[in-house]
Amino acid sequence: MRLISVLFLSVSLVSCKKEKPQVDILADVLKNGTVVLCEGLFQQNNSSLSWIDNNSMSSSNNLFVSKSGRHLGDTGNDIKRYGSKVYVIVNVSSTIEVIDATTFTSIKQISMQNGGISKQPRNIEFYDGSAYVTCYDGYVDVIDTISLEVTERIAVGLNPEDLTISGSKLYVSNSGGLNTPVMDSTVSIIDLNSNTEIKKLTVGLNPSRCITDNEGNVYIVSRGNYADIPSRMIKINVTSDVVESTFDFEVSGITKMNDKFLISYYDFSSNQSSLGLFDPVLDAIINYYFIDVSFLSTIYGVAYNSYSNTIFISDAMGFVNSGYVYEYTTSGTLVSRFNVGLNPSKFLFYE
Amino acid sequence: MTKFLYIFILFICSNLYGQFDTIQQFNEVDVLASHLFLKQKSFCLVIDRDVIDALQPIDIGDLLRKVPGTNLRSYGGVGGLKTVSMRSLGANHSSIIVDGVPLNNSQTGQVNLGQLIVDNVEQLISSVGLNSNFLIPVSAQISGSNFMIKTMENSFSEDTLTIRANINFGSFGQLKGYTAVKFNPDKFFISAFGSRQNAQGNYSYSILNGLSELSRTRNNNNYLDYNYGVSAGAKLNKGIWKIGYRHKSIKQELPGAVILYNQTADESLETDSDRLFTDFKWRNNKFYIRTFLNGAIEKQRYFDPTYLNSQGYLDYNYNNRNLNAGVSFIKYFVKWNFFGGVEQTISDLIVNDITFAEPLRHHSFSMVGARYNNSLFCLTGQVSGQYVNEQNNNGGVPKKRVRVNPFISLKTRGFGGDSELELWYRNSFRMPSFNELYYNNIGNLNLLPEDAHQTNLGFLCSRVNPKINLDFKSSIFFNHIKNKIVAIPTKNLFVWSIQNVGRANTFGSELQFDFKFNITDSWKLALSTNYTYQKTIDVTDPYSPTYLNQVAYIPEHTANADVTFNFQKTGIRISSFYVSKRYALNENIISNQLDGFFLMDVSMFQTFTISSSQELKLIGNVKNILNSSYAYVRSYTMPGVNYSISLSYAFN
Repeated sequence: MRLISVLFLSVSLVSCKKEKPQVDILADVLKNGTVVLCEGLFQQNNSSLSWIDNNSMSSSNNLFVSKSGRHLGDTGNDIKRYGSKVYVIVNVSSTIEVIDATTFTSIKQISMQNGGISKQPRNIEFYDGSAYVTCYDGYVDVIDTISLEVTERIAVGLNPEDLTISGSKLYVSNSGGLNTPVMDSTVSIIDLNSNTEIKKLTVGLNPSRCITDNEGNVYIVSRGNYADIPSRMIKINVTSDVVESTFDFEVSGITKMNDKFLISYYDFSSNQSSLGLFDPVLDAIINYYFIDVSFLSTIYGVAYNSYSNTIFISDAMGFVNSGYVYEYTTSGTLVSRFNVGLNPSKFLFYE
Repeated sequence: MTKFLYIFILFICSNLYGQFDTIQQFNEVDVLASHLFLKQKSFCLVIDRDVIDALQPIDIGDLLRKVPGTNLRSYGGVGGLKTVSMRSLGANHSSIIVDGVPLNNSQTGQVNLGQLIVDNVEQLISSVGLNSNFLIPVSAQISGSNFMIKTMENSFSEDTLTIRANINFGSFGQLKGYTAVKFNPDKFFISAFGSRQNAQGNYSYSILNGLSELSRTRNNNNYLDYNYGVSAGAKLNKGIWKIGYRHKSIKQELPGAVILYNQTADESLETDSDRLFTDFKWRNNKFYIRTFLNGAIEKQRYFDPTYLNSQGYLDYNYNNRNLNAGVSFIKYFVKWNFFGGVEQTISDLIVNDITFAEPLRHHSFSMVGARYNNSLFCLTGQVSGQYVNEQNNNGGVPKKRVRVNPFISLKTRGFGGDSELELWYRNSFRMPSFNELYYNNIGNLNLLPEDAHQTNLGFLCSRVNPKINLDFKSSIFFNHIKNKIVAIPTKNLFVWSIQNVGRANTFGSELQFDFKFNITDSWKLALSTNYTYQKTIDVTDPYSPTYLNQVAYIPEHTANADVTFNFQKTGIRISSFYVSKRYALNENIISNQLDGFFLMDVSMFQTFTISSSQELKLIGNVKNILNSSYAYVRSYTMPGVNYSISLSYAFN
């Protein structure tokens, strides 16, 4: 019997060990660094925010849990700052985390549910005191940035993904991604004065990333079907709201760098990553291989940091391993490299 | 403690007895191996009805976690998906044989053990390596491992009339009833059974979210099933013929993963399956032959009423049909045995989705082998061949596959006493399932079969005397898996694909120790323990961050320790189970870690004898008595402490 008791005791002791969140010492006020949104993996509740500190040149992957005492949730998809607040869109948890931009303490968690169905929010933009959030249930939600309440729902197309503002119009890409293989091909154009859809413009299969250049022109990525229909970048003439041109190169993401675009592409059949430079004034590729990123496993997020005049590129490492962030000068010299959470995709820079 | 070890060492290597093989008795038991032989001298693990009664498992999956070398993956709840992998090979490498007939599912390639009832299981035998039964289907004899189940309804018994009835009430609205009748005069039997089970599955659980522990209740987890069947058998001049029919219908809600801040769940799954099987065994002198035929149809309907596509819902019907037939034989000579067989499986899948394939698979198995016995050693060799050919009326097909796989085993007497040493090597593979080959956007027609190489060195010894029964088994094994079939996101987080990307090595060890002590005529003690060590490392790509890391969801340590006390007709069983930490992904970092857990179940049972042929048994069971919060799979939290009470009636 002693043997049994010893066995039971020893295993009980082992089993008493509980997961303790790793708490890093982070400054009370965030500055001189970068917040990295790591999406995590579907159904693993492991979306996280990493903090890259420019002074110590180190990274920590527990920014959100350290500041709020709880986890971000499942599949964080977007992070943006508006005024004194930071908004994090968490897709599968169907929440929006509103955070104080300076202290990074939680202000409110907005639950994005509608009659027992998750709205599955995806991306956020701001206009005149309101936040606009694409929701996979076919709406753009309007949120008052003072009361932090949803004030209106604007019906758009199927599974709206990204959005961008030009003048007083909102351009929303309707991906139809959950209706595979018959995906959507349209962009909903919304008048922000009346918050109504004024046009549905056909742009190309599976529209996703939307961006507005310095002159107010809107560019959309149509991802194609990952098979015989290739991905393309499409320019919308915002005066007449028609497709002005389709650019003949493969593209996954577009990011603004001053008056230029950084064009990223991950070829899933050859596992090759590339990063190019595009001039939206000339409407021409300057260099499709602007920075050599061919060594990356999976190029995922790209952003330009105007404070340091550097380019941040994330490697999703095949989507199942913890990711890396690379910082480059605008001439393509590697400055630093940081290990972050799973599937780093978006950046928020602090001066 | 010292005295205990001394007794242990004294017992293991003392007595000389036993033969390496026995002429299998041509009676009922040989369908599932001569279990009397197995019980004493085999590396197989045998679980009998009395142990099942004491453990009160909710299904076969729950029972198999007690077997050394197994790794259970359970998504929780009554009827929830449960699969078991043996020695890190993956569930698709194991065959499940019920009453000598294989259960197949070519759609997923694995059987949901959470939906196999245990009420009628008389015996379960788990084996890897050498199988002492050469009359089971060839596909099972050549698979990586197999689990053989013998049910009461499909076997001859000594009693003319057998009745079983059982009712069970459990936590979370669980109510289960089972009844069976078998009429068995000398030369034939007929039997029928039926069971019904329902559960609300609304169990409470707790999860740690940062610094706070949240208590929640699982919702959308209702479950209802019906099982019924009939069997008949006849003893002919030199043969035994049996036929059976089984039906199962299940309606279940799918609670899905536990998602932080989002408790919506409304998916459901309905399953209807029908199975007709027959087998015939024939003996002439020392030649034994068995043939079987098995036809099964499984229909499933998956429904998600709130999916955000253009219809606003998903409603898929899957119809998977399997037909298989086979012949196996063995011929005994004085020192030589020759055995072999063939088996053919035809299966298809029809889905109400125009984009899905319409696959039809022909899978042929054949095997020949020989065994040489003398008083010093026993050498067994086997060569199997397989041919797989597929058709698809809606799209492409994978290449035809032809494979030849060897197995060799050498058994010898151990270092004195009733001990044995066994060294074996097996090469086997598993075919990609229909889902892996054809599933929309995910499937990959270029998938190669997943290859497994297993090498094992085992040692066993036992000691039986009127007071004490002692068994000790240990194995060390090395497995290598090539072309491991894994699902990985390839295009973005939501677009996954199935690829042959993995290579993994497993270095493992199993220790098993069983001890039965009849203290007095009234007092009995039984101790059953086992421990499994599995270091399964990813050896795919030296430049990957997961190189040499422990493969996802495989614990390094698993242990069972069960103790049973019996006083006359009263008993108590304390059953404990330990699984060490695992990783949800192949990268062994803290954010991927799932904590290890320790579970303890306690059951008390009392038997009441009504007459010489009638018996009642009352069993009270507390599962997870320490109220551990645990999960086999990340985000699929399991229930805390829960209770059941069961009343069984037996007429023999």
